[in-house]
Amino acid sequence: MLRDFLVWMATHLGKGPGEDAMSWSEALAGSLNFWSLLEGTHVLSLMLFAGTIFVVDLRLMGALFRKTPVSVVSDRVLPLTVFGLVIMLVTGTALFFAKPLLYYHSLWFRLKLVFLAVAAINILVFHFRVQRDMEAWDAAPKPPAKARASAAVSLLSWVLVITFGRFIAYDWTNCGKPLPHWINVAEECQRSENGANDVAKAAGGALK
Amino acid sequence: MTMAPQDFLPGLAEWVHGLDSVFPGKQVKPWFAEWEVGHILSLIVLGGTSILLNLRLLGVGLTDEPASELNRNLRGWTIAGVVGIVATGLLIGSANAERLYTSEAFAAKMVGLLAGIILTFSVTLPATRRDGELGPIARAAAVVGLAVFAVAIWMFAAAKLANPGLWHVIFAGALIVLFAARGLTRIVYLGGLAVLLAVQQVMTNVVYRWDDYAHLDPTNKAFAWVFTAWIIAVAIVQAVATGRGRESGPFVKAMAFAAILVWVMTAAAGRWLAFA
Repeated sequence: MLRDFLVWMATHLGKGPGEDAMSWSEALAGSLNFWSLLEGTHVLSLMLFAGTIFVVDLRLMGALFRKTPVSVVSDRVLPLTVFGLVIMLVTGTALFFAKPLLYYHSLWFRLKLVFLAVAAINILVFHFRVQRDMEAWDAAPKPPAKARASAAVSLLSWVLVITFGRFIAYDWTNCGKPLPHWINVAEECQRSENGANDVAKAAGGALK
Repeated sequence: MTMAPQDFLPGLAEWVHGLDSVFPGKQVKPWFAEWEVGHILSLIVLGGTSILLNLRLLGVGLTDEPASELNRNLRGWTIAGVVGIVATGLLIGSANAERLYTSEAFAAKMVGLLAGIILTFSVTLPATRRDGELGPIARAAAVVGLAVFAVAIWMFAAAKLANPGLWHVIFAGALIVLFAARGLTRIVYLGGLAVLLAVQQVMTNVVYRWDDYAHLDPTNKAFAWVFTAWIIAVAIVQAVATGRGRESGPFVKAMAFAAILVWVMTAAAGRWLAFA
């Protein structure tokens, strides 16, 4: 059902009359520079978003700004992080809109979404559980284990989101290529335009 | 005449041709994407710390602490970021040398990298270490860094098919000024940006058809100049006027502004390598 919606979005939404008319998605993907500007902005915004969230995480782990209360670092730095996150979400959504089926059938995109979800859940856990008694350890050079663990999960999640995001650009696991069965299943290649092409090899060996 | 490395260094063609079949290019090639991730992570560390340090000089961000405290905490990470982008850049460059050798965007990126290193080590780190003060030698080096940055921008602007990437630099400049401006200045600034954006949209979507490149190209270039002039004008007002970041003078503020943008420009040229 989701895939059917994406097919409609990619091929029909905004399409004018006539054989050569393009949908909005096709027009965005085929634009001379706009898609590239979106993609470039998505990558460059990482400096603002991830570069600042790492500083907050490292403070929570007791590795940076040990003399500065956690609340001061987060109150001053996180607005910048949120600004970067908004840019990333807007550009990321537009990039998905331009090539929805490519991303839908991408193992790396799916893994990216999994770790985006982990990072989002971690933020909620931090906000509603870890942060509840923050007054007690706000000024501590080394916050308690639960805060350090939350920061470590955040750091790891974002590194994996960035890593898998970069891997999307590579065609190692594109549907239609000879792939281990589990990848074909994970990417729902059977339903893709290029179909599933199973190889009887151990997972990992055919990745490159 | 283009401005790709092959135009400046034609004698290196044969050496460049064989780089991906010898150490380290040969070893890096199968793991190109993984090394690329290392390059991006280094850029994130460098970019994030550079943004925080230079914004502090502009009176934005972690203003509860003196700039020297930010320097003490972030200096090592900034230097690690510079070392990381250079090291991983050399490795992935050795596996992709022929592509880079013919790229104008790559030439702009290398000049931008030089400017970034000069500005980081003559402005960002020394000015934060001394809470906004800069000595005469550092000031002279900063002027050299700014001149090199101007050359990098000019090369990027001349790089065919890659020069739309300069919009990233304009966008980043607009954001920095937005962060630094406040009160009425911020409102007037945002209003000006909104008007410019609206007029640009009308010109490029209504007055000219989306595929009328003969008109769209010069129109967008003209708007790039107008946006830049507006952003720099407000940045000058912010740098000269008293307000945020009082411990830094106008010179240090202007250089801190450039010291963020230089890394954005270098990264943008690197990204547009793939598009041009």
